[in-house]
Amino acid sequence: MIFHSLDFIAFFVGVTALYWSLTHRWQNVLLLVASYAFYGYVHVWFLLLIGASTVVDYCAARGMEAWPRFRRSFLALSIVSNVGLLGFFKYFNFFAENVAVALNGLGLAVSEPTLRILLPVGISFYTFQAMSYTIDVYKGELHARRSLLDLAVFIAFFPHLVAGPIQRASYLLPQVEARRRFDPERARSGFVLICWGFVKKLVIADNVGVIANKVFALADPTFYILWAGVFAFAIQIYADFSAYTDIARGTSRWLGFELTQNFDHPYLARSPADFWRRWNISLSSWFRDYVYIPLGGSRGGQVTWARNVLVTFLLSGFWHGASWNYVLWGFYHGVLLIVTRARGSARPAARPAAWRTVPQIAGVFALTLVGWLLFRETELGAIVRDLQLSPFGVSELDRQTGVYLFLLAFLYSIPLWVQSVWVELNRDERRAVEADRPLPAWPALALQGVACGVAFAAILVLRSRTSLDFIYFQF
Amino acid sequence: MVSPRVRAAAGLFTLIALTLCTPALVPALNRLHATKPFPPTYLPALEGPRERERFEATRVADLARLKPGYVVIGDSMAGTRIDEHRLSELSGTPVAPLLQPGSGSAFWYLALKNWVIPSGIKPRVVFIFFRDANLTDVLFRLDQQFRWSLDLAALDREDELNAVIARRVGPLQRVHALVGRTTGAEEARQWIEPALVRLPAEWMLRSRRRRTELLDAMNARLGLGHLRTMEAADIQIGDAPGFDFARDVDRSALPLLLRDARRAGLTLCLVRVQRRPTAHGPPPQSPALAAYVGALRDYVTARGAIFHDDTGDPALTLDLYADGDHLARHARRRYTDNLFDRLKPHFQ
Repeated sequence: MIFHSLDFIAFFVGVTALYWSLTHRWQNVLLLVASYAFYGYVHVWFLLLIGASTVVDYCAARGMEAWPRFRRSFLALSIVSNVGLLGFFKYFNFFAENVAVALNGLGLAVSEPTLRILLPVGISFYTFQAMSYTIDVYKGELHARRSLLDLAVFIAFFPHLVAGPIQRASYLLPQVEARRRFDPERARSGFVLICWGFVKKLVIADNVGVIANKVFALADPTFYILWAGVFAFAIQIYADFSAYTDIARGTSRWLGFELTQNFDHPYLARSPADFWRRWNISLSSWFRDYVYIPLGGSRGGQVTWARNVLVTFLLSGFWHGASWNYVLWGFYHGVLLIVTRARGSARPAARPAAWRTVPQIAGVFALTLVGWLLFRETELGAIVRDLQLSPFGVSELDRQTGVYLFLLAFLYSIPLWVQSVWVELNRDERRAVEADRPLPAWPALALQGVACGVAFAAILVLRSRTSLDFIYFQF
Repeated sequence: MVSPRVRAAAGLFTLIALTLCTPALVPALNRLHATKPFPPTYLPALEGPRERERFEATRVADLARLKPGYVVIGDSMAGTRIDEHRLSELSGTPVAPLLQPGSGSAFWYLALKNWVIPSGIKPRVVFIFFRDANLTDVLFRLDQQFRWSLDLAALDREDELNAVIARRVGPLQRVHALVGRTTGAEEARQWIEPALVRLPAEWMLRSRRRRTELLDAMNARLGLGHLRTMEAADIQIGDAPGFDFARDVDRSALPLLLRDARRAGLTLCLVRVQRRPTAHGPPPQSPALAAYVGALRDYVTARGAIFHDDTGDPALTLDLYADGDHLARHARRRYTDNLFDRLKPHFQ
């Protein structure tokens, strides 16, 4: 089931209404049933996988506490089963193809044993979330849960099941276990998030996505057209993914949960490291805590640190998809991080001079665009071709087409930029306000209501005629 | 003093009420913009009023004048397979192609009902080309982006098609259409969307003529001719989860197609094209799809139509295919000759 469908809205309204009429235990039962219905809506067999992952992790964690001597073996069981699931469903064909290509290159004629494997949506997210539970139990940061129901709700919680944000067990599990009470104030803020999420998805991401798809479908792009398409894709992927997160967080608030923030206006980042503190925060911190730090982090010399960064980013790239372009994307960002740190610009001053901020942001955004080209273009040959395109000697039509597409994508993305700049300029005030959490005054509430109404009208009037799936569903 | 919880609940209620009420201002905006009201749609089960393309009435007169012996209806599957001149040569009678790239069974039904039958022609066979479950998926190629092409074959009212679609879409999509109608959203879309698309061109160029030229040239620049081979390939198939002929047939245009053809004394031949084969043989098909096709064949032939399935035809090898399920240009003649051979009795 997808968020931007009437099926989901009916489903969510029904579940929420029933949910608040139940006691805590039955609320969790309903959440599990609803989450499995949500996930098994298209393919019931997906449930076997998530069910198996849950049971294995439950048993592994219990086993670690019951038989401490075998803690490592139980952890291995959890990691092997989760990574095995992920590896088989996501990477089998990739490995088989590459092994076959390598063997053929060595003169051994081998046909590719390609299976027609359907990638279960969300598998990359819930396996990582499940592993974080067993790893934390292994490290002694969490005790193994007795309730299989609570653990199953933690892994399958439907608002964020398919595309995150990936939640830590130490953060979400206590919320699953605690009694919850309907909080109208929290529901109000959730409602605003949901409205904004739908605008970002249906009005911004899907409209600029059409531009990006058109450009990346071209056999003969030229410089201006290509980079207009990359710009459109940059807007699409941010609007699309952050929309999913907003809707996930908004719907969770209606159910009495708080999910972590996943995006913090990444296109206003002032360094590559700053970008990664703002982009897909839950995944970045997962890789930081479970890959980068265990590898040694920044301890040791520069070379060791650089190796750890590269390994982490390569794995992060590979996590996105079984294709070399994602690996290249991860490698690119790893190198960017290493180079900027080597130049001493990884962590820009907290309050830089205004004249430095704009060029910094523009520079990082331009570097990010190169990354998005690697991410979006799946054919390595096309990447090489695209990076060689020159802005000179382009026909007038192609130049104008590129400028037009860029302006059109920019036009659709204006609300996104306005919101980001507004948040950035009011960051300190917002923190203070959120700390106090006062109820907004009536004029502010009315304004918010009209803004949500305009958002609803915009969805009705401006939603794209081409409905696209959430990009991160494929990961 | 009102408790914070009650105040928060009132705030939530206000927010939701304002959100739901604000779109009611859209009709007022439409009036300010003073566009002429749109005629009611012929598919109220699916959409609100909108500007539509004009019905192509000339097709009826053209058919009456041509008096074709064969009519071919379909999308690019037919377009990349049938060489109408070759078929005309082989059969010794004119052939009329009624092809619309990116069309589906709703269009094919309307083409038969509103063009072929009113023309009064009596072709020997009317061919309709389709893939897998297209014939029982009335929503295939009925997304907003394709509806303009349906307009070309649709009259002001298409009650029977609308009834079929209403059965297919379910209550939630009917709610969606109702919201569209009551808020005038589709009407607003008709003037806001083109204005948005024109805006960047207005920033770039002052002359209206040059803007129009740029937009036309740009559409050509991003058109089919410039796409990568597999991007241009028409590999999309209908959304037919779990092929189930019995479930889908009565909420599809297929019964209407067969009924109208029979009433008009026309012989329909439904040709299931072979999808892209593998290097070693025909494309694999699941047992569910094979069962579906068997049920479709029985249903169609029991109602007096001819059913022909290209799938598994040893003559249709991978080298004939260009991209996706499309045949290469050079293969059209071979395909046409082959089809003529396979269906010879119907070409006598």
